[in-house]
Amino acid sequence: MNVPLLTFLLRHFTLRHWRLAPKQSALLVLILALGVSVFVAVRLANRAAVSSFSNFTDTLTGQSDWVIESPTGSFPEGVLPELRAALGPRPVHIIPVVEVTGATPPSPTDTTKLGRTTYTLLGVDLLGVANLARPQDRAFFPTGNNAFWETFNRGPQVWISADYAPTPPTEIALVIDETIRVLPVAGLIPTAPDAPRAPATLMIADLAALQQISGKTGRIDRVEFVVEGGPRLEQRRAEVRAVLETLARPVAASAGESARWTVAPPGARREAAEAMTRAFSLNLTILSLIALLTGLYLIFQALDGAVVRRRPEIAILRSLGVEERAIRRLWLVESALLGLAGGALGLVLGWAGAQLAVRAVAQTINALYYATTVASAQLTLAEVFLGLALGVGAALVAGFWPAREAARTPPAQVLQRSARPAAGPRLGRNLALGLGFVAAGILCAQLPPVALAGGGRFPLAGYAAAFLWIFGIGVVAAFLLPPLARLGRGLGERFVSVKIALGHLRQPSGRHRLAAAALVCAIGMTAGMTILVASFEQTMQGWVKRALQADLYISSAGAQSASAQNRISATTAKALADHPAVARSAVLIAHFIEVDGIPTLLSGADLENPAVRPDLPWITAPRDDAMFDPARNAHLALVSESFTARFQVGVGDTLRLPTPAGVRPVVVAGVFADYGNERGSILMTRRQIQRWFAEDSVSNVALYVQPGVNPEALRAELLQRYPGLSIFTNAKLRAEVLRVFRQTFAITHALEVIGVAVAMTGLALTLISVLLDRRDELTTLRALGFRRQQIARAAAVEGLAVSACAVLSGLALSVALGWLLIHVINKQSFGWTLSTAFPVGALLLLGAAVTVTGGLVGYAVGRWGADLPADREE
Amino acid sequence: MKSLQTSRLLGCFVLSCLFVSFRGQAAEMPLTTAEGFAVPQPGRVFVFPRDHGSHPEFKIEWWYVTGHLFTADRGRRFGYQATFFRSASPDKTVQFHLAHMALIDGKSGQFYHQERLNREGWDAGAATATLDVKNGPWSLRLLPSTADAPAGERLELRGAVRGEVGFAFTLAPTKPLVVFGENGISRKGAAPTAASYYLTFPRLRTEGVLTVGEETLAVTGESWMDHEISSSQLDENQVGWDWAGIHLNDGRELMFYRMRLRDGSADPASTLTWVDAAGVPRKSDFQWEVLERWTSPATGAVYPVRVRLTSTDPASGKRVALTLVPLAKDQELGGKRDGISYWEGACRVLDADGREIGSAYLELTGYAKDLKI
Repeated sequence: MNVPLLTFLLRHFTLRHWRLAPKQSALLVLILALGVSVFVAVRLANRAAVSSFSNFTDTLTGQSDWVIESPTGSFPEGVLPELRAALGPRPVHIIPVVEVTGATPPSPTDTTKLGRTTYTLLGVDLLGVANLARPQDRAFFPTGNNAFWETFNRGPQVWISADYAPTPPTEIALVIDETIRVLPVAGLIPTAPDAPRAPATLMIADLAALQQISGKTGRIDRVEFVVEGGPRLEQRRAEVRAVLETLARPVAASAGESARWTVAPPGARREAAEAMTRAFSLNLTILSLIALLTGLYLIFQALDGAVVRRRPEIAILRSLGVEERAIRRLWLVESALLGLAGGALGLVLGWAGAQLAVRAVAQTINALYYATTVASAQLTLAEVFLGLALGVGAALVAGFWPAREAARTPPAQVLQRSARPAAGPRLGRNLALGLGFVAAGILCAQLPPVALAGGGRFPLAGYAAAFLWIFGIGVVAAFLLPPLARLGRGLGERFVSVKIALGHLRQPSGRHRLAAAALVCAIGMTAGMTILVASFEQTMQGWVKRALQADLYISSAGAQSASAQNRISATTAKALADHPAVARSAVLIAHFIEVDGIPTLLSGADLENPAVRPDLPWITAPRDDAMFDPARNAHLALVSESFTARFQVGVGDTLRLPTPAGVRPVVVAGVFADYGNERGSILMTRRQIQRWFAEDSVSNVALYVQPGVNPEALRAELLQRYPGLSIFTNAKLRAEVLRVFRQTFAITHALEVIGVAVAMTGLALTLISVLLDRRDELTTLRALGFRRQQIARAAAVEGLAVSACAVLSGLALSVALGWLLIHVINKQSFGWTLSTAFPVGALLLLGAAVTVTGGLVGYAVGRWGADLPADREE
Repeated sequence: MKSLQTSRLLGCFVLSCLFVSFRGQAAEMPLTTAEGFAVPQPGRVFVFPRDHGSHPEFKIEWWYVTGHLFTADRGRRFGYQATFFRSASPDKTVQFHLAHMALIDGKSGQFYHQERLNREGWDAGAATATLDVKNGPWSLRLLPSTADAPAGERLELRGAVRGEVGFAFTLAPTKPLVVFGENGISRKGAAPTAASYYLTFPRLRTEGVLTVGEETLAVTGESWMDHEISSSQLDENQVGWDWAGIHLNDGRELMFYRMRLRDGSADPASTLTWVDAAGVPRKSDFQWEVLERWTSPATGAVYPVRVRLTSTDPASGKRVALTLVPLAKDQELGGKRDGISYWEGACRVLDADGREIGSAYLELTGYAKDLKI
């Protein structure tokens, strides 16, 4: 088809209709926009939350070539001269780095909240790092004799990001381990104009000073290498890597030892961080597609309706010699234009939504994975294209069938006053097909998850099962309409409006099928998520009640994130335990380690002491009490359920743990439930861990008070003495754990609400379409003396019936989805076994609300439809 | 005497510690400076290899190597500089180590240079028992004695300019060590503490591998090495200096410096010393004449890059004129407007008839900026 004809037709055919029914067109665009926006918002929020975890050193050094990291978390400083000696005269900068997290001190008024801002303090040799400086880089220290020495000699101090505050403060108080440090601000982190901007939560300190204030004297967390520029750079980089890898090989070539460190490009750190949250991000992305999926049904619906209504005009065009192909293309262009408008609006809405969502996503990542901060969610060009493509793609998919229908309109139809509405695609009318989808879903639900790099698992088949069920049950749902209509026959005898409505429902049109399917999709997923969250919450409450038995829980106030490593010194831990008001105390030490290159947690508790032994919720209890016997437990370990899923191990298997003392084999003796940590954890006797790591500080202290002691009073007293500690009473900690838990699901709730809203909008659009299709009938009814009220009531019954039928199927679907989410998707992604809970009240409320809203929407549309002129113009 | 140039980072801190001035008049020598650093004492008996090593009780110290290298066919010539500085913080808690490496390719005129500054520790330091200084991957050390090379005979230099230039040289003195100054002490000014120990290997046979860009070249040549130890401060009235170390083809050397005063004149303490073939130093008169100036595009500084030195040859008693012609005009280090820059360049040495009679390194400081801020 030539372009002028297409333009002519678009102007005189498509645009005319849009102008005549601007509200419907706008609604259509809005539905598309909502679908696109939710996807865009979640994508942006995910990226913003993860991107705030960047390789902070990039800000200082540009790009390092290699980074070495120890599987036990840190290196002794003695490794540095060894590295230099091994590299010999090769022109390479060796940059040791210490990374410490610290949080702002709790405010005196509110000391109970977790999730205060966590800062990353990066310790690098600020003199040495300047050797990498390019002419455009600015320096940390001022030039000039006195100014240099004064700044250099000031002791521990920090350089902060320009984004920290509009006016940089002169000093900053931070809790590091158990101490509140007031650190002078030496200045802003000097970054060249072309370097990545320092994140607001990044602080830089001189290596030695940071080692000193974080208790890491003599230790470094990683070493970065920058190979100096010049010819054969690639070859020299490879040589450096080879040297580092050779040096990493264990001295004793015995089979028991593993490499001393891993050598990786700096991007690997970021990738590892992304891998950690990949399952979480994917889950959110999938959820974000509910709205778009629901929207797809509706767009299809609306376009199909338009085809039916404009059929006479199409027939005229066809009689005038416009080809079938041209008609189809015209419709596809119309769909694409709608998609483009929807996509564009969706981008705007999505960007706005992301600003809200990023906080929620960042909080979850902070609680479950690692310290991150709220970065602003920025729209990239790629996302703009993706959003528009998604809008156009969805509109084209939904418009494909209507376009074909339109093109097939025979020229003769111009004479037909009323065309039979399309019954919808054959797919939608086949009960067997619907049931087939359900059956395929059941098969998919049996398949294992896809393993992601870095230990993540993604339940691809689980999601496939969910989509098969949503689609299958959506198809099946419409088959409930005729029986429902028969059930209501009694009522129909008495009310003529009901009778009219039931007449339509006995032979449901494609419209009804699609509206029902869209609602089923939204209700099923919403209710399914509700079941998951309720089950999770019930399980969590039970676990918290069991796991948290002590009266006071103490940690460093600097530990505000799952990856924080702030500790309590052995002296303080002992002082706390020896307090006269304390009956007994338990301590826990946690080290971040890498097993087979996957990060996990190695914890130690005093398992030998029955009085303070943690009461573990067993998934598989140990066979005997060897685990708790000091004579036999040195090489036994308990692992969390997530750990078994992540590392594919079970009771009786041997783990090879990297420790500063070398690789140590331990045998898994039991599996316990742990909903606080998605990475999985290993629990052993603290004695052994202390020995391996040669460290006596602890991560947490739990106190059981003497009878008659008020834990609140003791807490207040201890806080006075140790302002750098975070102390929770039992009740406060339980409440806080559940608050953090609920917060992690806040974004899911938002996504569900949008899904249901889209479906309800769709129902309105459906009924409008149905009434427009039946304009002749409406004219007849009015001629027969039907009042507006009666017509509205008939439409209300229709709306009620469609939503009721969707609610019934949707709730049935939700039970299936709930099971799938709990036992397949959640289990595969996070490795957590949850006990199933059905929040009957919430589900009934949802069902009732949707049904009633369906009726109300029907009524409103009916009132509007009753006034429709007999004229065929929309 | 040599300068210490500075890192942009450290500013003039190190530099001002190193700049020594002298008025030529001896005074009573105190044992320490006001800050408590040792002051060089006359009549010191140097013990080697101990005195090739570091002397942390003094505030400032440097090991300064410059040299001229040729390929086997004499087809290519290069000049190189490898300098290691040590400077203590005023409270003596920190030792700063600064190092400069530079290379001039005589054929292409391309000049390479790089600086490193580190505090003493795992990546920089200087041994006290022998010569063993390092800064990152750069190092200069006295090789331990072997059967065919007795102790103290050879130095090893490892240096680089980024990944573009690499030095892997062995340096063997062909003459005994010269101690400049009177009674083992080089008096530097009117201030009683203004003095240094100034030890020099005026000629070291140099051989090894030079990497330039994609090329790996076997080179031989001759180098000059100063080792100077002091605790003095910069004189108020001095703005910079011109220094040269000259190798004559007849086996003799000249060491020359000219202290420039704020009013543009030369400090009376400026001097020129001839070192004869046996290694005996003898002071002589000199005249300094600028033949050509070069303006640095990077800093705007105007350097006298082509000069004529006229002096009385102590051997013949005749006046001789030596013209220093740089291998390339741009041999400026630093080259940043906000830092301190200086010119340290390899030169050909021509006699009055224009015949090439030796090689030199010329050092020009204080032209980019007043050295005292």
